[in-house]
Amino acid sequence: MQRTPFILRNPSVLIVIAVLAVFTAAVTAASAAYGTGVMPTSMVKVLGKTLCLALAAVAMDLVWGYLGILSLGQMAFFALGGYMIGQWLMYARTEGIVAASMAANPIPPTPAELQEGVAGQIFGVVGSTDLPWAWTFAHSLPAQLALVLIVPGLLALVFGWLAFRSRVNGVYLSILTQAMTLALALWLFQNDSGFRGNNGLSGLQNIPGLEDVGQARLSVWFLWASALALALGYVLAAWLMGGKFGSVTRAIRDDETRVRFLGYPVEGFKLAVFTIAAMITAIAGALYYPQAGIINPAELAPIASIYLAVWVAIGGRGRLYGAVIGAVVVSLLSSWFTGGRAPDLNIAGLRMAWVDWWQVALGLTFVLVTLFAPKGIAGLFDILNRKAKS
Amino acid sequence: MSALLEVRGISKTFDGFKAINDLSFSIGRAELRAVIGPNGAGKTTFMDIVTGKTTPDEGEVLWGTESRSLLKMNEAQIARAGVGRKFQRPTVFEDQSVADNLTMALRADRGPFAVLRWRPSDDSETRVAELAAEVGLSDQLPCKAGELSHGQKQWLEIGMLLAQEPQLLLVDEPAAGMTLAERELTTTLLCRLAETRAVVVVEHDMDFVRRLNCRVTVLHQGSVLAEGSLDHVTRNPEVIEVYLGR
Repeated sequence: MQRTPFILRNPSVLIVIAVLAVFTAAVTAASAAYGTGVMPTSMVKVLGKTLCLALAAVAMDLVWGYLGILSLGQMAFFALGGYMIGQWLMYARTEGIVAASMAANPIPPTPAELQEGVAGQIFGVVGSTDLPWAWTFAHSLPAQLALVLIVPGLLALVFGWLAFRSRVNGVYLSILTQAMTLALALWLFQNDSGFRGNNGLSGLQNIPGLEDVGQARLSVWFLWASALALALGYVLAAWLMGGKFGSVTRAIRDDETRVRFLGYPVEGFKLAVFTIAAMITAIAGALYYPQAGIINPAELAPIASIYLAVWVAIGGRGRLYGAVIGAVVVSLLSSWFTGGRAPDLNIAGLRMAWVDWWQVALGLTFVLVTLFAPKGIAGLFDILNRKAKS
Repeated sequence: MSALLEVRGISKTFDGFKAINDLSFSIGRAELRAVIGPNGAGKTTFMDIVTGKTTPDEGEVLWGTESRSLLKMNEAQIARAGVGRKFQRPTVFEDQSVADNLTMALRADRGPFAVLRWRPSDDSETRVAELAAEVGLSDQLPCKAGELSHGQKQWLEIGMLLAQEPQLLLVDEPAAGMTLAERELTTTLLCRLAETRAVVVVEHDMDFVRRLNCRVTVLHQGSVLAEGSLDHVTRNPEVIEVYLGR
């Protein structure tokens, strides 16, 4: 806690932002809308989504690497962020379509008729024509943007308050977080929960009011937004963990009881970090799903949150850049290996398809990293640093 | 003399075992006290109750001039009220520097948002430097606490306790694992601290207790067996029975 400027204490912040800027510029230059067109729009979307995943990984690192809580429910906040923005995207777009079709009527539709028409369009698929209460603010972009933060933040606050107050720790807390995301997924799967059951929300890539822009340009815009969000999230996380607050957070991870005897309200700190991380994750989700185009309750399955933990572990937990590296490298490798484009392996006459074997390889890597390189990929930088100094 | 801490008739049973049995204890504002007793006498449970880690089945624990009950407060609140505790095993945050360890312990608002706004100042840096000098760790300030020797960790923990500026200091077996020279320094420090605040030392080592030269409370089977100067209690036949009869 020397009184050196923030940037000097955290040189990784500058490096990460520089790399991110170069990356964004390069993708823009290769995109169809603003550059040579070497890179297809689908690839721009994959990279934009990857940046969102990296932001979720940074938040995961706050909770796991710094606070010491292995949360296996982070993707609940990610998906909730997506659902909240998805409600507006879907409502506003449907409203546009319904209004256009009703414009031909001799009598212009009343707001009530218009809403009824929209509800019928959106919820016909689950056999309902009423707009559920959860869609009260779906017509308003500012309201839904606020809900992107409020809903996951409140969930984290209430869940955390209940769990931390009763001093649930370790594996038990991990199981609770997993139960939380599973319960939420099961609830969303129901048709009458008001979120279209297993259909989820779709057509999210079409931004109301920007129909004429086209996906080529939109994809680059979302890449920029995702890069900006990652940069801001990274700076916020580094700032939080750089000062005395970060010191206390890491102390809670290492010896919670001792921190209590120093007089710190441990539960308050856990709640603050957990809630801030949930809101960062929600922002990542709100930027991810418009690029993915669709969100459904399967996104909240516990396995998604476990993947997030695996990325952070492989990248190197307890270091923010480790989380970014892990999320980017592992998620891109995953989509390459499971995309069917990786050449099959021939081992002793046995043909092994990566699509089937990637999960095994990833699991094995996770076990090996946990056992032999607990600092993950980021640990390599330590070795390089030491070599540079000696 | 009004007492700083007054413990009245506390009892605590763990699975049928009476760890503390109708124990009463009181200590003044500036006093050094040694608590001795054989294993299982209830020394650690006594400290756990005072610091809020364990709740007694019955009895009262009163604190300060206003005689506030400590039983309704949690560990952090009790620590903020002015009770500092030094554990037997040195517990410092090994992953962080000596300076950061001391800074965390400095007396300041402990709430998450206050901590978030907290910035190092000339005052805080001077205080950390003073504390480090007091416990002989000035040269180790930038080092990670994990790199310190066992004795140095003990000292760092004492430094952290001093940073908290407690009115009552509970010290669990400070001499354990220390060299002879370190023990002497510890004795001097504890005696000096007791001039301005209450210090309770739980100790096995009779030699160390003799050096402290203070009032002694002997615990046995969860209650006070004898109290007085060390010479006084060691002449007590019951104490001899308990200590030598085993």
